[in-house]
Amino acid sequence: MPNILVIDDDDIMLKAIKNILNKDGFNVVTATDGKQAFELLDHTVYDIVITDLMLPHANGLEVVGKVRHNEANRNVGIIVVSSVGNEETITEAFRLGADDYLKKPIMAGELLMRIRKLIANKNSKTQFVTKKK
Amino acid sequence: MWNDLVSLLFLAYEQFMYLSLFIEIALIFIFIAIIVTLMSYGSILFRRYDSYVYQKRMAHLSPIIEDLITEQVLLNENLGKDIPVDEIEFDQQAISNKLFRKPVVRQILIDTLIRYRKNFRGEVGELLRKLYTEMNLIEDSFAKLRTFKWETKIKALVELTQMDIPISDSMLLPLTNSTNPTLRAASRNAYIQLSKNEPFKFFDIATEPILPWDQLEMFKIITNTKDVTIPNFSRWVSYSNNKSIVTFCLKLIAHYDQQSAIPAIIELLSTKDHYFRAHAINCLGKLSAEIAEEKLVTIYTSQPVNCQIEIIIALGRISSGKHLEFLKQEFLFSSNFDVQMNAARSIIRHNSQNSRSMLTEIMETTNEENQLIIKHCQNPLIKY
Amino acid sequence: MKVIIDFFSKGTFWDILGIFFQYAVFIYGTSLLLAYGLLAILSLTSIRRYMKKNASVDYNIIIESPLAPGISVIAPAFNEGITIIANTRSLLTFNYPKYEVILINDGSTDDTLEKLVDEFELVQVDYAYREKLLSKPVKRIFKSTNPAYDKLVVIDKVNGKSKADASNAGINVAAFDYYLCTDVDCILDKDTLIKLIKPFMDAETSTVREVNGDIQIQEDYKRVIACGATLRMVNSCEVDEGLMMRVRPPRRILPRFQEMEYIRAFVLGKMGWDTINSVPNVSGGLGMFDKEVAIKAGGYDSLSLAEDMDLITRMGAYMTDNKKKYSVKYVPVTLCWTEGPTTLKVFGRQRSRWGRGLAQLMSTHRKILFNPRYGRMGMIVFPYHFFYELLAPIIEFLGILFYIYLIITKQINWPNAIILIVFVYTYSVMITTVALLWDQITFKYYKTWGETIGLCLMAFIEPFVYHPLIMFFALNGYFNFIIGKKHVWGNMQRQGFSPTKKKSTVKAG
Repeated sequence: MPNILVIDDDDIMLKAIKNILNKDGFNVVTATDGKQAFELLDHTVYDIVITDLMLPHANGLEVVGKVRHNEANRNVGIIVVSSVGNEETITEAFRLGADDYLKKPIMAGELLMRIRKLIANKNSKTQFVTKKK
Repeated sequence: MWNDLVSLLFLAYEQFMYLSLFIEIALIFIFIAIIVTLMSYGSILFRRYDSYVYQKRMAHLSPIIEDLITEQVLLNENLGKDIPVDEIEFDQQAISNKLFRKPVVRQILIDTLIRYRKNFRGEVGELLRKLYTEMNLIEDSFAKLRTFKWETKIKALVELTQMDIPISDSMLLPLTNSTNPTLRAASRNAYIQLSKNEPFKFFDIATEPILPWDQLEMFKIITNTKDVTIPNFSRWVSYSNNKSIVTFCLKLIAHYDQQSAIPAIIELLSTKDHYFRAHAINCLGKLSAEIAEEKLVTIYTSQPVNCQIEIIIALGRISSGKHLEFLKQEFLFSSNFDVQMNAARSIIRHNSQNSRSMLTEIMETTNEENQLIIKHCQNPLIKY
Repeated sequence: MKVIIDFFSKGTFWDILGIFFQYAVFIYGTSLLLAYGLLAILSLTSIRRYMKKNASVDYNIIIESPLAPGISVIAPAFNEGITIIANTRSLLTFNYPKYEVILINDGSTDDTLEKLVDEFELVQVDYAYREKLLSKPVKRIFKSTNPAYDKLVVIDKVNGKSKADASNAGINVAAFDYYLCTDVDCILDKDTLIKLIKPFMDAETSTVREVNGDIQIQEDYKRVIACGATLRMVNSCEVDEGLMMRVRPPRRILPRFQEMEYIRAFVLGKMGWDTINSVPNVSGGLGMFDKEVAIKAGGYDSLSLAEDMDLITRMGAYMTDNKKKYSVKYVPVTLCWTEGPTTLKVFGRQRSRWGRGLAQLMSTHRKILFNPRYGRMGMIVFPYHFFYELLAPIIEFLGILFYIYLIITKQINWPNAIILIVFVYTYSVMITTVALLWDQITFKYYKTWGETIGLCLMAFIEPFVYHPLIMFFALNGYFNFIIGKKHVWGNMQRQGFSPTKKKSTVKAG
């Protein structure tokens, strides 16, 4: 069962995403701020990280940067979900290594689809690597 | 008994009248102060009790409401199966719970639904709306719209627009002329979002300014609402007397890259207000209006600094390469630091063969201070 | 009539002077108390208006918008090594789409700068720095190589011995039209920028009116030049790495009094003035300013001991001199928590400085006092501050001396004297209680009713304990101003401040 970390300071959004993803067979862990997220990221390697951009303690860009910084997390799919419409920030998120960006309000179906796509990509990548060996 | 009391009071009054004026004033104030202090304490305690009760109620209700929404909407079986949202049914028993008849609960329900709507659109968003109408919360909102309190009316407008519920013109239009600026702005926003026919009618008739904050809201509504037909904003640039509408239209023109508006904006350059003129120049730059370049360079010397800077920024945005020499002159010889900075940025922005060789040349010949400016502007770490 | 006969039948010159003085003090005192009462009413209207207006405002709209104006956050730091990282992180997580954080290392002698460089991956950049406002030389400017911290700019400068000097250097680097002035050790609300920029964006621009069928454009643009919010004490609050977790009134008595005083000064004072567009000052701990006007007015004056009020005064004077309408706004929500001095020594030094700063301000800008050309500032703000802020400690002190003289010479009319004292006492308790009530209207900051009432009860002992202290330190400040004693602040003052601060910050974290 794929592991997903969701970081958002809006508890309603957190619960909602958790419910939706659980229903589709994902294992979901949540964090409400940057600090919590860092602690969780230190212990576990997730398949997908979904993060908001404006968070207490550390912003979403930092989260993205931190995930990418760690070798073990190289294959983690990162989806930024935020209401920020500022293009520069979005570009920055991609530069730091985000895989996808969804603007709030989001479509639940779309989120699910993108998660599945990222996981599929990741699997094909790892398969490729093992074949090569 | 009654007479005793009256005579006692009378006696006290007589005594009181014998006191000097200052002492009388002082006594009156002591009396007032004690009463007001006691009332304040009462009020503080009452408010605290009130909010305590509310919080307790919320702690009890929130999970129930969230569960309802989760079960009926988020985890609805029929979602994602290409069934039209209109045909998705809710569990009638769940939504007709007695609890949901209380006005307080209904208000919390509306607020929670709105919070979800802010996070979800698409099928889930539609289904949230359906839940709102099916539970008849729509009536609650309309009832609020009919009250006399302006803040309640605004609340109703926000709820209805968030839920995308049409409001009849006869109800909405009078509000857009309200003397209360906050209510006016809210109803204007509601009109633009909800009226599918002529959302920009306001631009013709608005006499009151659209405040910058209201512009944020209108901008969001205009750019986010799906079915709004985007008009040619140059119309208002040419004919509106309302400066705030013209400035706002300039922002929209830049956003939608309406090239056809360029001549109308060039006309604006003769306006007396130099802040306003700066907006116009800025917009020309964003549109990359090459035909305006000559005009901008011609008027340059007669402009105040803020417009000069905008012209230099605009030349950088247009990047036609025709005025590189002008930018270089300004960079080397302007006495204003901000002009120099922006000239350097604009030259760099050209990013053409000519501009690059110009920069190398400048770096070789100019003084240290100017070199530092160029280095500063070329540094990718310094963004603003 | 009786009063006048009394007045002349008493005989000697001293008696007449005494009676005259008594009446003058009574009238002065009563008018002061009435002014407070009036402010309380004005402030209530202002708060209610704010609450109603903002009840349905969706503040998130500005986060999403590309039209959001940019803001430069300016925070000077001097020897803040222990807390600098957490506090900088907190400044980097405001809910706002377009802002930069300018940290000014004001010649720290500890490892403040090294810590910043390490933590935020800073490198020195070639920066074309231009001095628009005077400050001590800027040595180096740093930026982060990590894009996650691209908002951060760190200035390393020679110590200027004042916050004004450091802030000026920050303004010189500021890229945006608005700047937020704060201290690096203040705990700020996440929504500070949104809440403070809103009043700037609610300013009327121009109005088109139809007069007799002719369309007329009326220019009644009232530019908002500054905006402030309420400050409170952080002393007993729970703070986690620069983030406010739980608000609590200070447990120790001195900061507790200050908390009460701040609430009264901000919620009742500043909000009241806001209603009649006469806000005198935006506190140095937290305020948002229009950069263009601040620069044209000459920025902060490093010689002023009340540099915050001095700047607002000069900005206002600049606007008036250029025949432009302006306003200074206040929002009734607490956005900033600051450390209040816990020892009498530090507190006394702070208050003496304030007193001295006020005296200095009044004398520097004396041309504004009663000058109708400066509008509300000349006719309301300055006279009020002159009579009721500057003169109050002096008159009060003289009043006490006079009472002592009356008691010694046995001339005192005890019943009357007691009534007058009770009058002043009950009234001051009322004003404070009302201020605390108004504060509860906007937001219930304290979790328990015990905390709230506990703070309210301080009003009963304030006139005996806290108030005489303030009066004494203010007089001390005036005295220093008159004899022109060299004021040493900046380093010394801050060093005196830091041990207590560090201790309590660690405790709080």
